[in-house]
Formats: sequence, structure tokens, C-alpha cells
Amino acid sequence: MNCDAASERMLDWIDDRLTESERASMLAHLNGCPACRSELRDLERVQQQLGSLPVPEPSAGLRRNFYEQLETFKEEAKPRPVRKFFQTNGFRAAAACLLMAVGIGVGYWLSERSASRQQVDELSEQVRDMRQMMMLSLLENPSATERLRAVSYTRDLNEVNDKVLDALLTTLNNDPNPNVRLVTLEALVQLGSDPRVRQGLVKALGYQDSPLVQVALADAMVRLQEKRSVKPLRRLLRRENLNDLVKTKIEQSIKDLS
Amino acid sequence: MPLNPLSDNTLMIAVRSGNLDQMGLLFERYNRPLFGFCYRMTGHAPTSEDLVQSVFYRMLKYRHTFTGDGEFRTWMYHVARNVLADHHQQNRQRYDSVDDWASRIGGGTEADEALHRTQEREMVHEALLKLKPDQREILILSRFQELKYEEIARILHTTEGAVKVKVHRAMNELKKVLLEAHEL
Repeated sequence: MNCDAASERMLDWIDDRLTESERASMLAHLNGCPACRSELRDLERVQQQLGSLPVPEPSAGLRRNFYEQLETFKEEAKPRPVRKFFQTNGFRAAAACLLMAVGIGVGYWLSERSASRQQVDELSEQVRDMRQMMMLSLLENPSATERLRAVSYTRDLNEVNDKVLDALLTTLNNDPNPNVRLVTLEALVQLGSDPRVRQGLVKALGYQDSPLVQVALADAMVRLQEKRSVKPLRRLLRRENLNDLVKTKIEQSIKDLS
Repeated sequence: MPLNPLSDNTLMIAVRSGNLDQMGLLFERYNRPLFGFCYRMTGHAPTSEDLVQSVFYRMLKYRHTFTGDGEFRTWMYHVARNVLADHHQQNRQRYDSVDDWASRIGGGTEADEALHRTQEREMVHEALLKLKPDQREILILSRFQELKYEEIARILHTTEGAVKVKVHRAMNELKKVLLEAHEL
């Protein structure tokens, strides 16, 4: 064994890791080599010094902390019961946040909705105004067809203002076309719950000369059970050149109303 | 391989499959060796306790990465080395000075008869710190942790022969440093 080989085996010598034969040849080399003996002595001293390095005991805190940590891991690893989950502060906080968000959302949505409803209301009001204006202007149209169309629009009007009512009554009394007057009468009867309409219709009895309209008016009076119409109806009966058919109809109507 | 119900690997496999209490047995078995390893690497007891705690934390957290193919000890030292590397990274500025480090070891208030011993310890600590980190590590692993070269080779991802040579060199380096210190 040479010095290099001996040097390589010195740690194993110290650690007692050599085989019996290695040990024997090492011992033989060391006996004849002072340099290696010296080296080994130094190495042993280093080893001794290293071994003298004390390691303090870990504090009790290490063990305590470890087992606390272990408990935390065990908690996390456990499949949590649902009820427990609902009881956690985290869940409560999340639920509160969610509720608040939903509240805000609904509030926002409602305000949006009411805003859009307001817009729709405004829009439909504008449409109604436009339709009224169109109706009023159409009623003055020379074409009877257009005037019929105008009257038909009133069916879509839920509320009728004075302007429209006046226009309709004027049409009923003055329109040259009996068809327009009949349609207008129909439209007005639809609005029969309005006292102004009833009054207008009673008055209209005196203006009508078309037998068709006269009969329709008489019918309308019966339908609306307008007692105030009896007098004008009687006056109508006294008219000369009254159609016999109309005469019978009116007499019947007076009878129904009294 | 006989399945010893209390072998490291059996315990760790139990931990992996959800029986976390078995980590307690492994803690009792290894907290001191790990503390010793960390203490010799850092020279600071409170820090070493934190590091040991971190090692067990990581072994619990990453318990699924334990395959059971190798020895538990090897895996544990892998984890410990990573923890130490992270620690070193975080404290590079703070602990890099040898004087700083050495000043934390000795107790200036120690009694006179203990002074010589303390000085000697400080010298060995300083000598260890003068070694390159990988030399220091391999010395600690081989001289203190009661690990076979074969195990160290697996921990350091190298061969047994390479470990033997590195230990030998590190030991000679330490001897050199200590001799220089004595001569001063």
C-alpha cells in the first residue's frame, strides 16, 4: 500500500469501515510511514474536534409546534361535514357578501327596470299623442277612407281627451259620408261610459238625417240605456219625411227606454 | 423487502394515504438528527427549530410525492436540503458574514474554565464555515448524520465513489483550515 491509498482509507480507518485484510495492510503501511501516521493523527484530531461541536437540545416548542401543525393538517385532510362548513365564519362572510351583492344587483336591476319602464311609458305617451294628432288631421282628410281610418284609430285609445271627443262628435254630426258617421258612432258608443259622450250622442239625435245613422243612434241609446234620449227621439219622430223603418225603430227604442 | 410495520417507509406510506398521525412517530425518530443537521449548517438553534418545523411541514404538505421506492431518510434529507437552500436564499445578506455567524455561537459571558472549550468550538465552527457549502454539507451528512456513503450518494444525486472522494477532500480541507487557525 502506498501513501495515496493509505490517505484514501484513513477516514474508513477512523470510522472502522475497513475489512480485515484492508486493516492489516493499512497497519503495515502506517508502521513504516511517519508522514501517514502524522496525517492520520491530524485527521483524528479534526474528527474529535468536529465531534466536540455540541448540538443543543431542541426546545419543547419544536415538539409542541409540530403537533399543532399536524392537527392543522388533520383538520384540513378531514372531509368536512356540510353543516360545519355553513357554520364557518368564512362561509358566513361569503354569504353576507353574496347577499349584499345580490341586493345591490336587484336594486340596480329594479332601478334600471323602473327607468326603462319610465322610458316605455314616455314613449307610449308620445305614440298616443302622435296617434291623436294623426287621427285629428286624418279626420279632416277629404278622402272618406282616410276619415274611416282615423276613426278606427280611436279604438286603440284607452283614454280620450276633449279634443278627440270634440272631433269625433263633430264628425258624427257633420261628416258628409254616412259610413264615416256610422263608424264614428260605433267608436263613440265604445266610449259610452263617458258622460260627455252620452250627452253628445243625445244631442246628435237632432242633427242626423241619414236613416242608417238615425237607426244606429236609436240602437246605441237603448244599448247605453240613455233615458235623456227619449225627448230628442220623440222630436225625431215628429220630423217629416222620416223613413218608416226608422220610425218603427225609434218608436221601439222609446218604448225600450221608458 | 420485509414490511416492518414500523419501518420509516411503512409509516410514511401510511401518512401518504391519510393516516397523518404516523408522522408523529417519524417526528420522534428524526427531529433530533434533523435539528442537528440544521444546527451544524446554520449554527443557530432557534433558526434550526424553524427549519426542522419547515421540513416536517413540507413532508406533510407534499406527502403525496413520497413514492416509497427509495428510503424515507433520503427523501427527508432531500426536503431538508431544499428547506436549507430556501433559508440560505432568504438570509443571504443577513448571515453571510462569518463574524456575524461566529458571534452567535460563543457566549461572551461564559465562565473562564469554559472559555477555552468555547474558543475551540468557535474555531471549528469557523473552519467549517470557511469550507465551501457543498463541502460543509457533505461533512455534516457523513460525520454527524450517521448516513452511509450510499445514502448520501442518493441524497446528493451522485455515486458512492464520488461521495467518498468528496468527504475525503472536505476532511482534508477542514484539517488544513484548522491547522492554519492553530498556527495563527
